[in-house]
This record gives sequence, C-alpha cells and structure tokens, in this order.
Amino acid sequence: MTVQVTPSSPGEAHLVEWRARRIEDPVERLRYLRRSTSGDSSRGTAGAAKRRLHIFHKYLRGVAPSLLYVLVLLPAPTPSSTMDTERWEQAVQSPFGNPAREVYPAIWQVEKTGGYEVYSNGLRIEDQYATSNRPRALYPVFGRMPVEDPTFAWRSGVAGIVFHTTESHMLPFQAEQNQDLQRLGKNLLAVVRQNRSYHFVIDRFGRVFRVVQESDAANHAGESVWADATGTYVNLNDSFLGVAVEAETERGTDPQPSASPAQIHALRVLTEMLRSKYRIPASNCVTHAQVSVNPDNMRIGYHTDWAGNFPFAAVGLQDNYAMPPASLYAFGFEYDPAFVKSTGARVWKGLLLAEEQMREQAAARGMTVAKYRIALQQRFRQIHAALRNGNPEEKQS
Amino acid sequence: MKNTTRNPGTAMGLDVGTSRIVMAQRSGEEYQYDSQLNAFVAIPYAKLTEGVLQKEEVPYTVRGSEIIVHGNESEKFAELLNTETRRTMTRGVLDAKEPEGLAVIRQLITALAGPAKEKQKLFFTVPAASLGAEENLTYHEATVRQILAELGYEAKSINEGLAVVYAEMESSNFSGVGISCGGGLCNVCLAYLSVPVLSFSIPKAGDYIDSSAAQVTGERSNRIRLAKEDSFHFNGFFTDKIHQVLGVYYDEVIHGLVAGMKQAFANSRTMPKLSRPIPLVLSGGTAVPEGFRDRFEKILGENEFPIQISEIRMAANPLTTSAKGALVAALSDL
Repeated sequence: MTVQVTPSSPGEAHLVEWRARRIEDPVERLRYLRRSTSGDSSRGTAGAAKRRLHIFHKYLRGVAPSLLYVLVLLPAPTPSSTMDTERWEQAVQSPFGNPAREVYPAIWQVEKTGGYEVYSNGLRIEDQYATSNRPRALYPVFGRMPVEDPTFAWRSGVAGIVFHTTESHMLPFQAEQNQDLQRLGKNLLAVVRQNRSYHFVIDRFGRVFRVVQESDAANHAGESVWADATGTYVNLNDSFLGVAVEAETERGTDPQPSASPAQIHALRVLTEMLRSKYRIPASNCVTHAQVSVNPDNMRIGYHTDWAGNFPFAAVGLQDNYAMPPASLYAFGFEYDPAFVKSTGARVWKGLLLAEEQMREQAAARGMTVAKYRIALQQRFRQIHAALRNGNPEEKQS
Repeated sequence: MKNTTRNPGTAMGLDVGTSRIVMAQRSGEEYQYDSQLNAFVAIPYAKLTEGVLQKEEVPYTVRGSEIIVHGNESEKFAELLNTETRRTMTRGVLDAKEPEGLAVIRQLITALAGPAKEKQKLFFTVPAASLGAEENLTYHEATVRQILAELGYEAKSINEGLAVVYAEMESSNFSGVGISCGGGLCNVCLAYLSVPVLSFSIPKAGDYIDSSAAQVTGERSNRIRLAKEDSFHFNGFFTDKIHQVLGVYYDEVIHGLVAGMKQAFANSRTMPKLSRPIPLVLSGGTAVPEGFRDRFEKILGENEFPIQISEIRMAANPLTTSAKGALVAALSDL
C-alpha cells in the first residue's frame, strides 16, 4: 500500500482548488494542480519538487510582460486633504478587516525607570541601547488603486509594524555557549543602534531592547509597499515601526519558525503593547519580506526575512501571509522563483490573490495583464521619484 | 494558459495490463488508442504455417522450433488449436516463471509504441502493491522502463488507479477514488487535488474469476473469458452454468474489493479532510459487464464506508481509461 504526501492545509487547498476550477483545459488544470500541490504521479523523481515549484511560479506569474507597452498618461501626484476611499473599495473588494470593528488589547505602562519599562501584560523593555534618530515625518498615503487616483493624503503617527530578523551570526542555543551568545547579542545591539536599524530588538533570550525611539523613524524598510483599508503606503520608515528578532530566516517550502519560544512570547507582548498604544490594525502587522520591494527590477522580496515562517498565530495575529501584497496588485511588481522558493506555501495564498486581483482589474479595463502591469509600474515609478525628491536624505534599508 | 511550444502529439500513455496493453496518443483534441492482448501462443514451427502467417499479416516470431503468435491474434490461434493462451504477466507484474514473457512483452510494446521521436515522453501504468503484502514491483517497473528507454522514450511510471483519476475526474479537480479492475488486479487510488493519497491493489480480479469458473465448470479459462466479455451481465438470472458461476466469483471479487477499500481507508492515517463527498469511477475490462456498477454500489452500500462518495460511475471507456490517464499525466508533464 502506497501512501503519499497530502497536499496542503485546508485553506491553501481551497484556494488551489478554486484557482484550478478556472482552468478549462483538463491537461492544463492537471499541470497546475500537480505543480501547486506535492502531487507527482511518477515515482522516484528526485528534484521534481524543485522543478514543480519553479514551474508553478512561472504559471502564477502568467504572461511575462512583453516588450510592447502602452503608456497610460497619468497625472503626477498632488496633495489632497480628502481621499476617495469609497472608489477604492468599489474597485477592489477589501481583503482587510474593518478597523472600526477591530479589537485592540488594553495594555498600560506599569513602571518606567532609567533602565527599563514594564507593562501590564508582562512586557519589559530594556532601555540601555535607546537612541534617537530623525523625528518621524509626515508621510503620504495613496489611494488603494493609485493608478486611478492621483491624490494622496499626508498623515503622521504609527500605522503598523514590520517584523524583521537580524540575519546575524547564530551560535547554537546551548548553556555552554552562554557567554558568546551574550557577547554576540551585545555586538548586534551596538551595530543596530549605530545604524538606527530598528525600533526594537528581541535578543536570543527573549529580552526586548528599545533602540530607536518610537517618536523617530528607523531605517528598517525604505523600499517597501503595503496597503490597508484606508490606503497605500510607500516607504514604511515613517509609518511603520520596525521590530527585529535576533534570528536567521528558515527557508524552503515548509519553513519552521526561526524564533525561540521566549522570543515568540516577547514578540506577542510587545506587539500587544504597540497595537494598544497606536491602535494598529492586525492586518498592518506584517513581515519585511511581505513589504520589501526592489524598484530597480520591479520585483518584490528584495529582503526575505520572515519570508514564510512568521508565527502570526502565536503572536496573536491573523495569518497575514494570506493578504495580497499591494506591491503586486497596486504597482505591478513581480516576483522571481527565488522568492517563491524562500517563502514557502503560506505566502502563495497572498500572491495568488494579488495575481487574481490584478487579472480582474486588467479585464475590467479591457487591457491585457502585461499592459496593465506596465501602467501600474509607471505609476509606482512616478510616486517613487516624487518621494525621492521630497526626501533627498532617505536611506535605503 | 497554453505554452505554444508544447506539442501534445509527442506525449504517449501506455497501460501495461495483465490482460491488455493499450497505447494512447492525442491528435489535435482527439484521443487515439491502439491495443494488443498481452498474451501469446506457441505453435510448432513449420514452413507452411509461417507462410500462412505472413500471408495473413499475423505478427509472430520464430524462437527455435516454435512460432510465437502474440497479441490480438493469439486468442484466435488458441481457439483453433484448442489450447490456452500464455501470458507475459501475472497479477499485474511480469511473470518470472514465463520464459518467453520478456521477449513477448518487448515485441508487444515495440509494436504499439514504436521507436520514440526525440525526447518523447511516455507514462506507463504500474500497479500498486497488494493490500497487506510486501510485493516487490521494482523488477516489473524497471524492465518496462528499460524496454521503453531502449526505444528512446523518456519514460515515467504512473500508478494505475491514479491514471483512472487523471482520465476521468477533471470535473472534481482530480479528487476522488479511481478503480481499475483488470485481469490480474483491482487497483485503487484515492487522490486529492491530483495528489495520490492512498493507493493499493487487490489480488483478485478478472483472471481469478476466469480460472475459478474454469475449474468449477471444466471449461478452459479462455472460453470463460470470452463468455464473460461477450454475454455476461448482472441481472440476477443466469441462463447457463457458466454465467451462474461467473456471477458467484464476480460477487466474491467485488466483496473483496469493497472490504479492502474499507480496511485501507479506515486504517489510513494520512487521509485528507475532505470538505465534500468525492466521486468514485470504475474502469477496466473486468468492470465492463452490464450491471457491474449497480452490483458494486449495492455491496458498497451494505458496508459503512469511511469516506463520503458523491457518485459511483463507470468510466467513459473502461478499456482505455488507464491509458488515457497515463497520457494526460504525460501531457501535463510537458
């Protein structure tokens, strides 16, 4: 009796099934299914999984942008005090929750001394590495479909959290390594402090260190895109807080969480405190890999930390890997096989949704996906250039 | 989306069954099939006989003092000579005790598939291991693969039950139970979204029915098989002893198949959580007699089955289903 691997989680299977039903040709449908699941009818084909992953990626990506392109003339971004959110909602069915109905944790500060802070959920923040950077600036928030809407609104305050890993040197987490583990942690904090890389760092022992003050911007996600129900954020350094875990990203199709139980607990209580303090929607607590973009080649996933293994549930959040990345559907970014390989199956849900969304948007406008993608990318380049000019000293994360 | 560089005509499916070998190819949107009985008879060599065979264009090979007539013509000769046909395979795999087996199956595969075009893909069916047995299928699979490789094919194997799923279950996104009741085995595969979750075989199938009925009636197995394929049907009323005996052994095979499925599905620890009932498709020469589906459904209904079945249906063409499934797999692998 032969027993082979079952395909995936029920949620993912449902998505794959839904997508498959849209493919009419039976052979194409089977090809899609065999490559999106772990199905392989043949025996002993080592390396077939890798090949399937690669071809699945190609399938997802659809028709590659051709050299022919149609430029859609779009007005340059202009400031506006109002945003036509209703139109965005009509254009794209919102995958986000309703912020008004969001339940935020109620956490308060219990104690603050010169060296640490304690919060009502048990969170303790060490302040000895705290430093300042440039104050958080006003940042523009664009419409949910910036290709159609030239306006944007200036906002301030914290809109979300980006989770990072430090991708620093990892020693075995063993008692006999204790001294070296501490030494590496201290060196890491010194470097992070010097570069103003993140707002918070969680070390190997689960201790939370404040680095850049929350009132200031950190250089953690310069080339990045995310969207929520209210609009699209480009360059998240001013709008999102950066929280880094001293860890290295696990990669592959089934990556395990990189964080230790102590670090996951610290992530949970820190996230609770920040969400409580800034009223941050759960859908705006995302990983660096989800938001990172490379404008030079118009691909997402320039950084791949927490690419597919962030423990959203353990941190008390919804599975945000299922969210469609705005970089894809709003700005026409693409992704390469290396990104799909490093992310694992959890991110595919979001990628599939974004691809589907873009296909529908293109069809609604009577355009091919390739032409529509070119128009979206053109819009991003305009916004990117405008932001660069407005913030000349901006550093790339 | 279709890749225009793919040429569906370059892929082939081959169902290597105990009773028949069926080849499938696609020409445009049409599936085309060719088949040969996986059997042969050996007759004493005589120049006159060879001349007749040549004149009648009957495929044969001369081996020492014998002429081997193989494939579809073998049955006719067996009938003429009042002898049993010999098989290259038994219970789904090459018969190690048949000295001519390898040579004949090579002839049959070569006659059906012919030499490959450049890098031509071919998927061939292999049985699953019998339930509860540790059968070694490696020799069979490796031998068929080698024959095909010598013909120049890029050959891959596919489980026979899964081939049924690929041929018949497009509408359920290739989720369901595919059953191929052939000569040597009943192959069963539960697939979910094209992934084979559970596959096994039951060692009682058409040949068991034929030989058991032959023993009881004193007829030759060939004759029983012809009676079974030509006129047997499940209507509960049998006009002669052969049909009555066939009914008894068919029932035994179906009961064994259902019991095996029940046991395998109930004991599996890897069953996917199915959100909806799945279809079950019956195929293979042993499932061809009229009323087989109804009889199977009745016996299945008498048992508490561990998974929910949405429908039980016959394959569109039970004799070519596995070959079609192998072809569909090959096409999807291009």
